[in-house]
Amino acid sequence: MITLQNIEKYYAAKGLKSYILRHVTTTINQGEFVSIMGPSGAGKSTLLNILGMLEEPTYGTYEFMGEDVTSMNERKRIELYRNHIGFVFQAYHLIDEMTVAENIEAPLLYKKIGSSERKSRVADMLDRFNIVGKKDLFPNQLSGGQQQLVGIARALAAQPSIILADEPTGNLQSAQALQIMDLFKKLNEEENITVIQVTHSELNASYGSRILHLLDGVIKEDVSVLS
Amino acid sequence: MFKLNLKIALRNLWKNKGYTLINVGGLAIGLASCMILLLYVAYEWSYDKESKHYEDTYVLYQHQKASSGTMSWAWTPGVLAPEIEAKVSGVVRASHSSYPQAAVLSYNQNTFRKQAVYSDPQFLKIMAYKFLKGNPAKALQEVNSIILTETMAKNLFGDEDPINKIVKLDNKEELKVDAVIADLPKNSTILFDYMLTWALWENQMPYVKESGWGNNFCLTIVQLQKGQDYRQAEALVRPFLANHDKGATGFYTLHPLSKWHLYSEFINGKSVGGKIDQIRIFFLLAFCLLLIACVNFMNLSTARSEKRAKEVGVRKAIGSSRNALIGQFMLESFILSILGMVVAFVLIELSLGYFNNLLQTDLVIDYADWKFWSVFVGLTLVTGFIAGSYPAFYLSSFEPLQVLKGFKMTGKATLSVRQVLVVFQFVFAACLIVCTAVIYQQLNFIKGKSIGYNKNNLVEFPLQGNLRKSEHKRQLLKDELLKSGAVSDVTFFSRSISEGGNNSFGISWPGKSAKEEVLFNHRSAGYDFAKTIGTGMISGRDFSPLYKDTSTVMVNESAVKTMGLKQPVGTVIQFWGKPVTIVGVMRDIVMENPYAVTAPMIVYHNMDDVEVLIARLNTEQNISSSMATIKEVTEKINPGFPLDSKFVDDTFEQKFQTEKLLGTIANWFGGFAIFISCLGLLGLALFMAEQRKKEISIRKVLGASNMNILTLLNKDFIKLVLIADLIAFPIAYLIINKWLSAYSFRVSISVLPFAVALLLSLIIAIITVSVQSVKVAKANPVDALKYE
Repeated sequence: MITLQNIEKYYAAKGLKSYILRHVTTTINQGEFVSIMGPSGAGKSTLLNILGMLEEPTYGTYEFMGEDVTSMNERKRIELYRNHIGFVFQAYHLIDEMTVAENIEAPLLYKKIGSSERKSRVADMLDRFNIVGKKDLFPNQLSGGQQQLVGIARALAAQPSIILADEPTGNLQSAQALQIMDLFKKLNEEENITVIQVTHSELNASYGSRILHLLDGVIKEDVSVLS
Repeated sequence: MFKLNLKIALRNLWKNKGYTLINVGGLAIGLASCMILLLYVAYEWSYDKESKHYEDTYVLYQHQKASSGTMSWAWTPGVLAPEIEAKVSGVVRASHSSYPQAAVLSYNQNTFRKQAVYSDPQFLKIMAYKFLKGNPAKALQEVNSIILTETMAKNLFGDEDPINKIVKLDNKEELKVDAVIADLPKNSTILFDYMLTWALWENQMPYVKESGWGNNFCLTIVQLQKGQDYRQAEALVRPFLANHDKGATGFYTLHPLSKWHLYSEFINGKSVGGKIDQIRIFFLLAFCLLLIACVNFMNLSTARSEKRAKEVGVRKAIGSSRNALIGQFMLESFILSILGMVVAFVLIELSLGYFNNLLQTDLVIDYADWKFWSVFVGLTLVTGFIAGSYPAFYLSSFEPLQVLKGFKMTGKATLSVRQVLVVFQFVFAACLIVCTAVIYQQLNFIKGKSIGYNKNNLVEFPLQGNLRKSEHKRQLLKDELLKSGAVSDVTFFSRSISEGGNNSFGISWPGKSAKEEVLFNHRSAGYDFAKTIGTGMISGRDFSPLYKDTSTVMVNESAVKTMGLKQPVGTVIQFWGKPVTIVGVMRDIVMENPYAVTAPMIVYHNMDDVEVLIARLNTEQNISSSMATIKEVTEKINPGFPLDSKFVDDTFEQKFQTEKLLGTIANWFGGFAIFISCLGLLGLALFMAEQRKKEISIRKVLGASNMNILTLLNKDFIKLVLIADLIAFPIAYLIINKWLSAYSFRVSISVLPFAVALLLSLIIAIITVSVQSVKVAKANPVDALKYE
């Protein structure tokens, strides 16, 4: 599903290149649950952003579902992105001006999905995450865990084939964190959604099927997790 | 999508009420000012365009070469119209008519002194007045016919049917009402309350019938065939005067009726503009005001960009395209501009009365007119678009990643655009302040200039009825008035003392070269003229009953200068071919135009020509009781004619109407411009305070005092305002210099207006910014640093 060939990312400052990523080459298949781990500054988030097409690599090729993303034009990339990728953020990043239901509905609007279909999907999501009673509340009226649930519901509403999560439990208490991780595992196993998460926590990583260890921009280790 | 965006936009506006208020307020004031100015411009623009023939109708102008250049006027001889109709091909009809003049009209006990025009049936057809009652085909056919306007008919007859009723003109002629026409729109050059026949005028004034090509006393208009090129007709009309009057140097031209009002100035016989210049200024002003309101909006929207940035980032991260975001921000801007328009509407309706009073117009919003609605909708859309475009493109350009990583606006580039916008606003405001100040200076300068006589406590009224004809009655009135103690001096004059007209080339003097043609004002005056109006005699004497003043004249200083006389008193000059002796030299008095050099004047004593009584009130008496006495005495001697007295200083004041108007308008709209600019500045201050919160907190932790911080924050804005002033002053100088150059007497441009503008703009800016910066400076630094 995803093939990275020799991905490099650096910032040039005063003639000096400071590398974030070096020679990253890997393949991620449909249905995998990958955790990217490593110390601060290892390049984890940058790698995730490149995977999520929010950032472009300086060098190297990135193929997503057999298509070369690096040479794709903006419109096609957005199209691809809309249809296949769901993002979950550490800081939730819900839109403050929208209610829970509207937040979930937003990506569907951009996908130009018909009104009745949208309604049913939003209702479905609310149901599934047990937040029907909160659908008319605004984000600032919810707890952190609930906000992250809405964030995941929003990512899932568009029915992506892959979910990218940047420290999804970083701002949560441990009980809520467990709940979120269980959810990811369930999605991965039951719906065959590919999940890629960045995390510091060994515990969180143990939910996944594979761990990429990053150090100073280089993949040091690529291990499978035995469950 | 649209529905959700709309909902979000409304929610956003509601959540930030203060910001919405500033925005809507700014836009509303900008839009309202723009609309009022546009209404005024449209009003002026539609002058004389009521008639369906207006595009083919032309006013005859006569141009006369003189030493001082060619003079042009829309006064023509009465014989011109019939001649044109007979001899010029392509002319549908030509009409002659008098200019409006006041006369008394009465029906039973209802007596009114109102404006009359003597004219012919052609005039009615060309102007295509709307007949409410009576038969248009038969109107003005008989000598004693009269046509009333609706209001005049109502005043005279109330609810009675006026048709075929008899009314009395000047308590003398009995006239039969032919028809009633709709009231004329106020934006017509020729305004009257009733219309009389040309034949009646000929009966009343023999010269109307007798005078030939040399006497210009009436208005001539022609209607050409539809689509006809007026230059053909003009070529035929041009030499008429020379053909009939051997040696005459004047010629005629056609001037489109639709341009009569706005393009009334001529140089060397060519139209060079006129009021249109003012209209252009107003038009420009309208759009500048709207533009600075839009700039304001941009400033405020981008100022809030940090808050909006996160939303943009998230939307992009969940799949929004840039266009969708632009659409959303545009929608918000349109909602605001629609809200602004609604408020502007209320403002317009509330203030229109005031402006109508000020501008002496009747501007109304014509709700049934599609043109109004299209301008209205157009303005709203354009405003929404201009105001929304910059924020929309700017905000939607944020990269999601930057924003989500934790948004830090480096600020340099974006701030500079906004600084440019604020500078632009203040340039405009400073220009207006300077211009307003100079307009007021000029006005005061002209008002303070000596006018050559004492206009205070001077009253004048037209002589009517028997007072015009009987010398005995005039003398009686003078004696009675003096006896009553209400007035201290009385004299007679052939025109109002603050009016122009009555001039002639027919004066020659010893040593005048044959080619020299100088236009002299000529007036007839009664005894004690100089004494009554309070002007000094430079040499010689006033007209007096002690002498026989039949072939004597007084001249003014300027006439002496023109004629180059060393010993004016006693010199014999030729006036209309008759020798007259100069007995006195008066000081120059300003009659018509206080802005121009006083023309040479010759004053003779012929009581048949006097039309106005001038009296100086007795200063020891109460003015209102004096006025009552004058009214009582005059109406007793001359019954049936209501007294129509005016204070000379009031009439004189009206000469400043245009300048006063310009001053007031510059003041009002300059005020609005400054106010809106301040809102913009406030927006910038808000933005900056937000941005520098952390910096300020760190400085405070390091020991900066509130005063240090305040100086730091205000310094940047003061710099902006100074830059704006620096740009504005040369522009303002050029504008005001051009404006002043139209006046012969003008103030020299001093530093004062510029200093005022500088000080005012600085004070306003500092106050506005300080409102915000004090808040920031006083804030607890911990609050800002906690979240890092």
